[in-house]
This record gives sequence, structure tokens and C-alpha cells, in this order.
Amino acid sequence: MPELNCVYRHREFGDHLTSLADYERAGGYLGLKETLALSPDDALYAFHRSGLRGRGGAGFPMGRKASFLPKDTGKPTYVVCNADESEPGTFKDREIIEHNPFQLIEGMTIASYAVGCERAYIYIRGEYEAQAQVLDAAIAEAREAGRLGPDALGPGRPFDITVYRGAGAYICGEETALLESLEGKRGQPRLKPPFPAVAGLYGCPTLINNVETLASLPPIMHRGPDWYAAMGNEKSPGTKLFSVSGHVLNPGNFEVVLGETTLRELIYDMAGGLRPGREVKAVWPGGSSVPVIGADSLDVALDYEALNGVGTFLGSGGCIVMDDSGCIVRASWRLAQFYRHESCGKCTPCREGTGWLANILGRMVHGEGRGEEDIRLLESLFGRIEGRTLCPLADGAVMPIQSALDLFRDEFIRVAHEGSSRPVPMTEAPVG
Amino acid sequence: MADPASSPGGSGAGGETPPVDVVSLTVNGRAIEAPKGTMLVDAAKAAGIEIPIFCYEPRLGAPIGACRMCLVEVEGMRGLQTACSTPVAPDMVVSTESELAKDAQDGVLELLLANHPLDCPVCDKGGECPLQDRTFRFGPGQTRTVEPKLHFPKPLDLSPLVALDRERCIACYRCVRFSQEVAEDGQLTFQERGDHVEIATFSGDPYEGRFTGNTIDLCPVGALTSNPYRFVSRPWDIKNTPSVCAGCSVGCNLEATERDNEVKRLTGRPEPNFAVEEGWICDRGRWGYPALRSDERITGPVLVDAVGRRTVLLDRAVNEAAGMLGRRELRVAVLLGEPITVEAGFLATEFATRAGNGEAMVRRMGIPGHGLDPLRALPGAQMDDLDRADAIVVLGGDPCAQQPVAELRLRKALRRGARVAMAGPRPTALDPSCQVTRTTPGHLQDALPIVAELIGAAERPIVMWDEADLAAEPDAAAALAALIEDHPATRAIELACDVSGPGLRALGVATAEDMLAALEAGEVDVLLTIQADPTTGPEGARWSRAIDGVPRIIEMSTYRSGVTDRADLVLPLLTALEDEGVLVSMTGRAQRLRPAARECADAASAWELLIALTHRLGRPVPDRTPAQAFSRLAAEHAAFAGLDYGELGTTGAVIAQGRGAGAGGPAARRNPAGDGLLVIPCRPVFGDATAHRSDALASVVEPTRVGLAPAEAERLGVRTEARVRITTPHGEAVLPLEVDSRLHEGAAYLFTGDPHAGAAALLPMDGGPVRAAVGVAQREQVEA
Amino acid sequence: MTVAELEEHLAPIRHEYADPRSLILPALRYVQGEAGWLPPHAMAAVAEATGFSQAYVESVATFYDRLYIDEVGRYCINVCVTLSCMLRGSDELFEHIADYLGLDGEGTTADGMFTLARVQCIGACDRAPCLQVDSGVQLGPLEPADATCLIDDLRAEPAPARYDR
Ligand SMILES: Cc1cc2nc3c(=O)[nH]c(=O)nc-3n(C[C@H](O)[C@H](O)[C@H](O)COP(=O)(O)O)c2cc1C
Ligand code: SF4
Ligand code: FES
Repeated sequence: MPELNCVYRHREFGDHLTSLADYERAGGYLGLKETLALSPDDALYAFHRSGLRGRGGAGFPMGRKASFLPKDTGKPTYVVCNADESEPGTFKDREIIEHNPFQLIEGMTIASYAVGCERAYIYIRGEYEAQAQVLDAAIAEAREAGRLGPDALGPGRPFDITVYRGAGAYICGEETALLESLEGKRGQPRLKPPFPAVAGLYGCPTLINNVETLASLPPIMHRGPDWYAAMGNEKSPGTKLFSVSGHVLNPGNFEVVLGETTLRELIYDMAGGLRPGREVKAVWPGGSSVPVIGADSLDVALDYEALNGVGTFLGSGGCIVMDDSGCIVRASWRLAQFYRHESCGKCTPCREGTGWLANILGRMVHGEGRGEEDIRLLESLFGRIEGRTLCPLADGAVMPIQSALDLFRDEFIRVAHEGSSRPVPMTEAPVG
Repeated sequence: MADPASSPGGSGAGGETPPVDVVSLTVNGRAIEAPKGTMLVDAAKAAGIEIPIFCYEPRLGAPIGACRMCLVEVEGMRGLQTACSTPVAPDMVVSTESELAKDAQDGVLELLLANHPLDCPVCDKGGECPLQDRTFRFGPGQTRTVEPKLHFPKPLDLSPLVALDRERCIACYRCVRFSQEVAEDGQLTFQERGDHVEIATFSGDPYEGRFTGNTIDLCPVGALTSNPYRFVSRPWDIKNTPSVCAGCSVGCNLEATERDNEVKRLTGRPEPNFAVEEGWICDRGRWGYPALRSDERITGPVLVDAVGRRTVLLDRAVNEAAGMLGRRELRVAVLLGEPITVEAGFLATEFATRAGNGEAMVRRMGIPGHGLDPLRALPGAQMDDLDRADAIVVLGGDPCAQQPVAELRLRKALRRGARVAMAGPRPTALDPSCQVTRTTPGHLQDALPIVAELIGAAERPIVMWDEADLAAEPDAAAALAALIEDHPATRAIELACDVSGPGLRALGVATAEDMLAALEAGEVDVLLTIQADPTTGPEGARWSRAIDGVPRIIEMSTYRSGVTDRADLVLPLLTALEDEGVLVSMTGRAQRLRPAARECADAASAWELLIALTHRLGRPVPDRTPAQAFSRLAAEHAAFAGLDYGELGTTGAVIAQGRGAGAGGPAARRNPAGDGLLVIPCRPVFGDATAHRSDALASVVEPTRVGLAPAEAERLGVRTEARVRITTPHGEAVLPLEVDSRLHEGAAYLFTGDPHAGAAALLPMDGGPVRAAVGVAQREQVEA
Repeated sequence: MTVAELEEHLAPIRHEYADPRSLILPALRYVQGEAGWLPPHAMAAVAEATGFSQAYVESVATFYDRLYIDEVGRYCINVCVTLSCMLRGSDELFEHIADYLGLDGEGTTADGMFTLARVQCIGACDRAPCLQVDSGVQLGPLEPADATCLIDDLRAEPAPARYDR
């Protein structure tokens, strides 16, 4: 299984590209150079041709989204990088920021040139303060070198980046909540339409992309969109980062060409496999908000379509693995608690529903379940939450739990009657 | 005869209404039509189909789609849509009753109730609660939750007026949006997130403002309730009556709740009058009703004669009055105060031809407006025209304090991006948000270039001018009128100073300067005052002396006044909330008062008493009701031509504008003698007589006081005084001092209102400018 | 923290935002860094420096987990308890720390040194079970003994000049 360090370029250079000089020596800023030789429209077209899809979770084609931004509105245009990375199981953007920050900066510069943006923002979660400081330093260095500032895109063509720190709220990863937060408000999602492309930050046209999406642009522009499109398969081209965590021996981030690697290979060959004698029981392959799949799906290829084929999503690529020592109801309860805690409270089904789910699952786990009645209640609640909320957070809360109930129904029924005792946690230190 | 074309219609402001595209769609199998841009929920409602909502409230701005109560199925769209935020589209096929839609409604209600205490039996909202109603109509039979509900500390006082029960809150955002986006007071917010969200103020401070009560009307559950109404009555014990607020000249529509013949509550109208108040009322209007039961209320007729002073039956009192007024040689004067309905005003003029020598003088209190005729002849506007104006200038006055609801309309205009300029000598609550021109006292003229600039650059400008300020500066009034005439797209709104003025003026009733002269000259034998206390108004001391010389005085009044103790006969009147008839607002809107209660069995309406008197005098008027009086006055007075009492309905109609019967007042600019400070009269509604009489308003009532700039207070050596003595040629008063850095030097801001404080009496009768000396109040005076 | 000092801190970044409202969060973070939490007077200073109401500022502050409107200890020990960490023993780690600090679950130690909290995923599942002291580097994987050492080390440190929150 090939591992191609396209976004994680630092891995080819002693794991650190945190100085501008090192980054440039590693081929940095060649993508921007190619971009500036194109017209903005041609640059947009190149994004489009590359087939790059959003890496934040939804997988929306990046070039198409960028082309939705209206031109000549008389208002400024903004590019916002979503570095909120709060999806449980996901820590891939952290590595880009920590080890290869200039690739993100270059990527944002490229995107901003294409959509005509003079000030871009990186919205980074408050818990990434150490990482934000790496960005601050890199931006200062880029500014010093003229890569940012009044002439960043050529003489008299300014561009600059502001790092904006969140303060602890998962929902601020949702793009409209992020914009609210960046505008100094409570981070509660907005009603759509209008979409951010039309009315985003301060009501202006705004392109929002994930860190990985933007950091994919420099190699795309350097080596050409066709080179990129040729990797992987037609609908899922390019490389993708996966974070693997949970019951694996070697948790970490892995960059793979889409469609070329299977989930089994990711878990067993890259992430070190499981403890001896253990088997995979459940995998949330795209972060905690996607449907959980079982051991029978391990041979699925890692790309958007194939994962849909086994009833789940590629999501953010935060792959959480649980082995057969784990209790699926307890895991579901823990996730329900997460969503309850992170619900912004704006819309009814999510505000009230996530808490109710957590309460029911908590009762079950603690031996206070009501057997089949609780199972039926859970099932009817799923339908009363999913698809009825203002933003997709609640869907993300329901999907992993609903799929767990579908897949492990017997275990749910058993726990609803008997409760579930706390398992012995995996204590082996990760290798490496 | 006024030209009907110049009458200020609801859609004036110079703009032509563009043709609306109509969209055809199907809802629940029925073909319906709605203007393009209409949200599904409104389109359905217009067709008689109710889609349940909680958070949707267009008056609060764009829909937020938070409660999810309004989910419906739209063919061709994935999943369910919020009808509150989905605009109609051609050929849309909508179902609000499909299995999926029903399940969604049921589901949202079930979830809303999951953490709701269901304490309806002890909740003030019980019985008139949208959550309760919708649960009956659209909701689950019973709750399936066995989980413990979330608990919050029990009800607390958000302010002395508003109580908050957080457990009942369904986080619909209405109150918060009102505070943040309509009143813009910024005080009410949500704290925390998820199922812990709760309504809060900063660090638990009280929610202070002038519009806070609207959050109670907006709340769809019993989370926000009125403290003065707490546990007062249950919905099945009450009767609600639509009426009009007589608190200021805006004429806000409201609804009055009666129980046991008492007014227990006032609220905004559930169906707002968009041409007036838009459903928002100020807290002074909302909580003024306890004044009806204040101990200043006159509860029975009083007769003073040789036998002594005693209470008599109403019938006897009317006979006594007729006896005092009947003799042919008597010279009678009738003085009208406020509030006076147009029917009462009209019947007063009818009465005048029948009393005494048949030539009784009928006058009204209020500002003489000699120089205002040209302004009053300009095309007018309604309050909702402010929603379409692109530039608004306020010249003089302070609508935020004197016509409070206007502030909300101006804020709305600012949010829309309209240019708004405030010009005049007073600081206002809107100053931080708009263009401000602070004129020196007596020099409104200096602001005219700003007016010219703003209306010159605008397509639909509106000028709001203050009656009192422009009456005092007739030269500015004339120049302003000329300026507006040069810009024909401009519409004008008079910020009128009293509630009776616009209606009585339209009947041709003049102000009372000549009456005062006649009293002083001994030319009046009987004075009849109706809701009028000239002794506390401008030149009150002079009125007092003059009245002392009148042989016979009859007073008709709700509250005891400076006249009461001198009167030979006192007839108690009902208040506007108990009365029937028409009041004309500052924008010329004739609106009906409807009696909501009758708190005082021995009181009567002015119109009733006047009709009765004409009967006793032997020359009865043909009318028996206000409706009949109205139809006669409409036939006789051009301003009311074509209006029908019945058709005024609950939202009123606009009278034709005419010239004011405003003879009197300074005809030209005048520099008052002396070297004192120029007096700037301020008439805050929150400091008026009703506010002082209502115990509910104790926490917000504005004291009657003198305001000085810090430097001025320093110069006069009163900086640290609690009270000061203020003296004008018309009298002297000892008042609390307020030092405020936003005030002009060289001026004494006289905040009037409390009838016992003697402040208004310091002003000149004709509304012209006056100077005052301000100094240290002697200890004895303070105690006196 | 005076309003003037805060304004001075905000002055260089004001131009970066089209609306001064965007300054609220940076301002809150800054004053919290000074005081360790957000006492009412600090929020009032933010309100004044940014031009928004105090209630509004407080409402924004309460939305975010890492802004504290109640006083917290000198160090906030934030133990991640979300799924990946749970699978690797975060509950046990949390309980061990609570025991060691003499706390019954979440809370602040009597000496005001530590506030212990369960937090949601901090983006370091590769280091599970992990924790963060304030907003510092995500630490892990942690054996109970590692956490004990960490706490001892923190106890020995002099009070920080600024809080890293
Ligand atoms: C609840 C929720 C949380 C999200 N969190 C993140 C996140 O942490 N990082 C991210 O990049 N996208 C996140 N997203 C997705 C964003 O809304 C948005 O789709 C993404 O930033 C677009 O960038 P992309 O097209 O490059 O993926 C989240 C979405 C939801 C609904
Ligand atoms: S789904 Fe949850 S997070 Fe999204 S708007 Fe509704 S309450 Fe907020
Ligand atoms: S009324 Fe539509 S979401 Fe609340």
C-alpha cells in the first residue's frame, strides 16, 4: 500500500518544515508560482480539474464550491480555513499545522488569488494553542519574507492571514457556526441558504475549506491538476489523510491514495493492528459522526464511494477502532454524551434529543434499562431528530448510534436488560 | 376642505408600491396564491391553514429556523422544510398534514416538553399559552420520558416588572432577539449552550429598559411573565378588549384585560397595527393601569354649597350642574385637557351653544401653534412609512422620551441602512447610533442645513418635527415648511405633545390663552374644566389666581387636581381605558377606544355627561352614543369627512389633514428677557402623571427635575445639591437636580410630569422661550 | 486590567476585522490570560473596549468551554474522555487524578491550585489517554504514574505570569 506524502511533505524532510527556508528548499511555493502565472479564473478551473474534494467531512468538490463565489459584488471576498478539527478521532490537520504550516499558508494564498481575497482567516480551535503559535510564527516569517503582506500576490497586490482562536466548542467546526464565532458571536449555525459562498463572513462572499483541502493545493498547482486527478479513482482522486486511534497498537496519521488502500490495511499494516488475540469489533471510519461498521466491512477500499457502499462515510478520516473487548452500548453512550455536550442549543430536536439519547443509553449501561421498551424509544427518537435539525450536528449524533443499534441489536437488548460493566481499558502504550 | 389626495395614507412617503408578483402553489391539496417572497407559513395562514410555529416572528427580523415546529413536506425537496424560512415558489406542492409532517410536529412538541415542567396549573400563561394550545392541536398524547427533567433555580425577578422561570423556557429566542435586535438595549441574552441554555442578563443585573414588557407578549410559554399581573387571574376569568393607549400622541393599539371590572393587564395587540405601533408598546403604556386605582382618583361626585362639602349621587350632581349653567345671562367657559375624545370635544362645542348665554367659550389646553400651520399643511405620513423611508430627520423634541415607540421604528430604519439624523437641543437615546446635531437652545434654525442635506439626497425622506419646539420658534417652523415644500417627496410627522391636540384641533378648538385673559378680566361666570388642570400647566400660578376669581367652577375629572378643591361641583370621569370614543393620533389616525372595564361605578364619560347636560338644559343633542356623535361631527367637520365610526374597526383610519386652529403663540422669534438660563422643557412619558400614579412603575418612573451641564452646575454652585430652586417670571419650584454631561451649558432642562412638583407651571402660556434662575434651595423650602 | 490596557492590546489587530465584534473573543482570551478567569469587571472591560453590551459579552463567553466565568484554579487539568481516550483508559486516568488531588470528580482543589475537568476530544487521540494543562500541548499517552509526576511538577512551579488558557 503506497503512502505518498503529498500533504505531509514534511515526512520526506526529517519531519519538520517549520522554517520558510526549509519549506522552500523542499519545493515550497512552486505551486503559488505556477498559480500566479494563470488568471484567477484559470486557477479556479485548475482546482476544478484536479477533482479535489473537501476534506473537512462533507467531501464537496473544492473547485465547484470556489466557483460559487459571486464576483464584482463590491464587497470584499474572504477565504476562511477551517482548522477547528474537533471531530472525535480526528487529528490530521494538527500534524499539517505543527510540522508543515507553510504548505497551508501557500495553499491559502493560492485559493485567495483565485477568488480575489485580500485577507484570509484561519479559525483554529482554542485547544490548539500550541499549534496556533506555530502558525503565528510561520505567518510572521512569511510576512517578513514578503510572502504575505502588501505585495504578496505581486507588486501592489496585498494578501494576509489572521489566525483566529476559538475557545472550546465543537460546533464551531460547522461552517456557519464558525463564521458566527469569527464574527464575535455565539457559535451557533445559521439558517441556509444563503450559503457562505454568497453571504459568509460579514455577509460577504466567503470560501471555507478544511486545512487539508487547502494544503492540497500547492502540490496540485505545482505538479498540475491532471497529475493529481490521475491518483486514486475518478470520483475520489488524490490522497487523503486518515487518523487512526482507539484499540490499535500504532495510532497515528497516514496519508493514502484514495481507493488504493483498504480499511484492513490501514488498521493492520499502517496502524499496527490490534493486541494479540483481539479482533476488530467496530470501526467509525470517518470520525465519530459517521455510521459505525463491523468486522465484515474491513476490506472496503478507502474512498468516498466505497465507504458509502458499506453504509458509512469517509467523513473527516478520523478512524476510530474498537476491538472485541469493547462494549458498543458504552461506546454509543460516550458519543451521545459528546453530542449532548456539544449541541449548541439553538434548535429543538438536537438540544433536547441528544440529551435524551444520552440519558437512555446511560440508564442502559448502568443497569437501569427498560429492555425492549428502551430500544423502541431509541428507535423512534432517531427519526425524530435526524433530518429535522438546523445543522448536521444532530445527524452526526444519531448516525453512529442508530447504526450501532442496527449492527449490534442483540448486545443493545442484552445491555438494556443487564447493564454493562466497565471493560478493562487497553493499556499497552502505543508503539513508536 | 382638504384635498383627499393629500391625506396621509399608510403607503405614502412618496414611494409608489411596485406591482407584486403572485405565486400559485398547492397546500394540502388546495390551490392558493401568495405574493412572491412570502414565507410558506404566512401564505398558508392567509389561506386559513395553520402551520404551528414558535420562533418565527417577522417583526424580529429574518427567520432563524430554530424551533423546528413548522416543518412541512414539500414535494421535490429532500426531507422536511421549515415553513417559516421557505419562500413560496411557483407550483410548489406542500403538505402540512402528511404523515411525515405530522410526525415532525408531534416530535418537536414531544422534545420541547421533555424538559418542560408542565406546571400549567400554576402558570400565569396557562390557558393562553401557545405551547399548551399547540400541544393539544398538534402534539403527542403523552410524554414518553422517564428521565429526570433539567432543573434551574426557580423563578426570579428579571426586573421589578418581568419575572423569569427558566424551566419553562423553550429557547425560542424571541425575547433575546427583541432585546438585541429591536429595542437594541443589549441586555437580554442567552448564556451557556446545549440543553443548558438560559435567558440571562449580565451578572444577574435587572433587565432595565423602556420596552421590556414586549418580551412577555412575545414569550410563547410562561417563562416570562408580568410581575404586577402575577397570579392575578386565569384566562377563563378575563375578558380582553382592544383599545388605544392614551399615554402619548402615538396612539399605540393595545389590548386590555378585565376581571372583576378592573383593568388587570395591558398587552400589545396579538394582531398588531402596523401603521402605528407594530405590536410593541412601551413599559409606561403597559404598566400605567394601576393608576386607575390610585388614591388620587375621584370616586364620587362632590358638591360644595351652603350646606358644606359632600358626596352626592351622580344624577343629583348633573342636575346641580345644569342648575349652575342654565341661566341665560351666564358667561360660560369650557376648558378641555387630556385625554378628550373627539366626541367629547364635539359635544363640548354643542353644549357651548346651549349653556348660559349660548356663546360659551370652548378651549383646549396644549401648545398654541400659530406658526405651525404651514407645517401641518404638508403631506403627512404614518409610522409604517418610516419603514420605507431612506432618510429621516427628527427636528426638536425627543421621541425616545416623549413618543417612545417611535424610537423602535427609528432603530429599525437605522438597521435597514436609512440615514437618520437627530437635531435639537436635547440628548436622546438614539444619539449613539445616528447623526446628531446638537443645536444651542432656541436655535433649531441652525439644524436646517442638515435637514436640507438629508432630504435633498433622499428619495423617500421623512421629517419628524416637534410641536412644542417649533411652536416656540416660528421662524424655524416657517423655514422648515418652505424647505420641505421644495422637496415634494418629503413627508412630515408632527411629534405632538398632547393626546387630545390633534383631534380637538381638527374640530377647530383653539388653545386657551384668550380664556385665561377672559378669566382675569372677570368675563367668565362659570368655568367647566374637563380633564383639565391649568393650575399645574404653563403659567399655572396665573391660572390659579384667575380661577380664584371665577364665581362658579365645575370640574369633570378622573383625578384630583389643582381645581378640585376650589370647585363647587366635581364630577368623576372615567379613564380612557374605561371610555368609548375616538382619539386622533399625532399622525392623524382616528382610532377607537373601547371600554375595557368600569372601575369606578360613580364615574361617567365626558360625552355622557355632556349629553345629559344638554338634556337638562332643555335643548338636547340628538346623540345617545359616541357613534352617533361621531357621525354628526364627521358630517360637520371636513377633517372627518367620509369616516364611519363602525368602519374604524380596530385599526382606525386617517383623517384628512387641515390647517390647525392654532391661533396664538409667538408669531415671531423672541428673545426672552433676563439673563438666566434658557429653559428647555422636556416631557418624558415615563415621568408623566400616570407614571407617578402607577405603583407598578415605581422602579422606572422619571423624577420631575432640573437638568444641568456639569460646568453650569459648577458655575451656579449647585453641583453637589440634591435639590435646586428654579425661578422663572411665572413662578418658582424646588426640584431634584440632575447633572448630566450630555446637556448644554447655558440651559436649564426642565423635566416636567409630576403634577405636584410645579415644574410645568414655570413655562409661559404661549409656549415661547423663557429664562430661569437656578440656585441653591434653602433648607426650609426643601422641607416645605 | 484596565480598559486602556485592553484597548492598547487590541489596537494592532483592530484593522484585521471588518466588524469590531470580532474582537470580543480575542479580548476575552486576553483578559482571561491575565486574570486566569473572567470576573465580571473583566467582561465589562471587554464590553467597553469593543463597544458591545456587557450582557452580550457574557453571553458569548458562556458559549465556549474554555472561557471561565467562575473562578478556576491556577492550573486547569483537562482530561479527554471521548471515545478514543475512553477505549484507552481515560476514565481510569481521570479517577486516578481526582483521587490524587483529593477531589470527588470534577472541581477545584481546596488550595486553589488545580481545577480538574473532563473535556471532549482535544485532537490528540493518537496520544490517548491524554490531557491538557490549560491549553498547553496535548500530553499522552499517560499512565497514572505520569499524571502524578506531572501534578507534582506543576505544584513545584512558581505561579505563572500569564495563564495559558
Ligand atoms: C458539526 C460539524 C462539525 C464540523 N467540524 C469540522 C471541523 O472541525 N473541521 C472541518 O474542516 N470541517 C468541519 N465540518 C465541516 C464544515 O462544515 C465544512 O463543510 C468544511 O469546513 C468545508 O471544508 P471542505 O469543503 O474543505 O471540507 C463540520 C461540520 C459539522 C456539521
Ligand atoms: S443541530 Fe444542534 S448544533 Fe446544529 S443548530 Fe441544532 S442545536 Fe445547534
Ligand atoms: S417557526 Fe420555523 S423553525 Fe421555528
